[in-house]
Amino acid sequence: MNTILICRDCDTVYRAIPLGPGDVALCRRCDAVLARYFSANAESGLALVCAAAIFFAIANLTPILSIDIAGIETRANVWFAVRSLQQGWISVAAFGLAFTTFLVPALQIALLFWVLLFARAGHRPPGFGPIMKLLHWMRPWSMTEVFLLGALVAIVKLANWVPIVAGAGIWAIAALTIVLALLGRCDPESWWSIAPAVKT
Amino acid sequence: MTAFKQSLELGLIRCRTCGLAVSYVSLRMDRRCPRCHSRIEHRTPLSTEMTLALLIAGIVFYIPANLLPVMHTSGLLGEADSTILGGIFEFWRAGDWDIALLIFIASVAVPFTKFIAIGLLLLTVRKNSRWQQHQRTVLYRIVEFIGYWSMLDVIVVALTSALMQFQVLGTAAPRPGIAFFCAVVVVTMLSALSFDPRLIWDRRT
Repeated sequence: MNTILICRDCDTVYRAIPLGPGDVALCRRCDAVLARYFSANAESGLALVCAAAIFFAIANLTPILSIDIAGIETRANVWFAVRSLQQGWISVAAFGLAFTTFLVPALQIALLFWVLLFARAGHRPPGFGPIMKLLHWMRPWSMTEVFLLGALVAIVKLANWVPIVAGAGIWAIAALTIVLALLGRCDPESWWSIAPAVKT
Repeated sequence: MTAFKQSLELGLIRCRTCGLAVSYVSLRMDRRCPRCHSRIEHRTPLSTEMTLALLIAGIVFYIPANLLPVMHTSGLLGEADSTILGGIFEFWRAGDWDIALLIFIASVAVPFTKFIAIGLLLLTVRKNSRWQQHQRTVLYRIVEFIGYWSMLDVIVVALTSALMQFQVLGTAAPRPGIAFFCAVVVVTMLSALSFDPRLIWDRRT
């Protein structure tokens, strides 16, 4: 067990105390979160990851927005948005969009599923170290919630102009945002603590 | 008030990747974290230099992002190129002040806040300032948190162009400004990520 905590933002050293459910330890000098109560409960984590995977699939398989003019329907979701940016060198923006709204969330879900599946069985998953590092570096680049807001803005923007409707995908994106936020709250740093608990 | 001790005063070092507190003397020659095997450093090397370089890149990209059109629309009323500021102005005139405000916050206010805040953090750290350390740490967290919301305009343009293809009422297509704008978001996020907030609290003599 890690008995010494060091603040990420101001480098102050603390001796860790046991936390109860819902407790958050804050730095006394700069108010950064030092630690949250964390039970290595792979079961509930795994349930959330499965929910995230389902919502992610729905969001990418059903239209998020669609326009129906005289029986001709145009649909849009994350991939259609990415494809519309693939024009000449504007494609760098397409890459940025694909990375932040598709690749990163997909990898987060897949890697967390892998880690938690093994953790539930009491094993240290193969590639645990690199996976945790990857999850740590990817965290700031997951932009599902920004995509949700963007879709809402697009609805309002186009509504005066064309008959636009929101599809099932928008609800899936909203649900995915919530589930990913819940998973993100148990930050990767605390996931590390399950590593010594389980055998290699 | 208790005396706050920083890691090195107690012979400790914190891994920035996994958060483990490691005793300084136990580090081997390769200086890797015993838990996650990342390179472990007392302070991120070249932190302020990287932050400054990326900040300048962000400011430079922000100019074409605003001067170049982000979207081209053609319809029954003719063809038009629109810039970010032009788009905000159009929403405002059409009475959609709420959307105008939202896009203004994401595309103008957030980038400017980032430029000014990162600039201020760099300046005070270089001057080894003890001024408002707590508030400056909060400022750093705000910059970290607001960073990615600027991606909003890129998403709106992409979705609009995706929907307005082959439409009788008009079509929309992206224009180079949006790629520069995407670059601004990425580069300023990298700038904020390379800043080591612990420098705010360091006492260098």
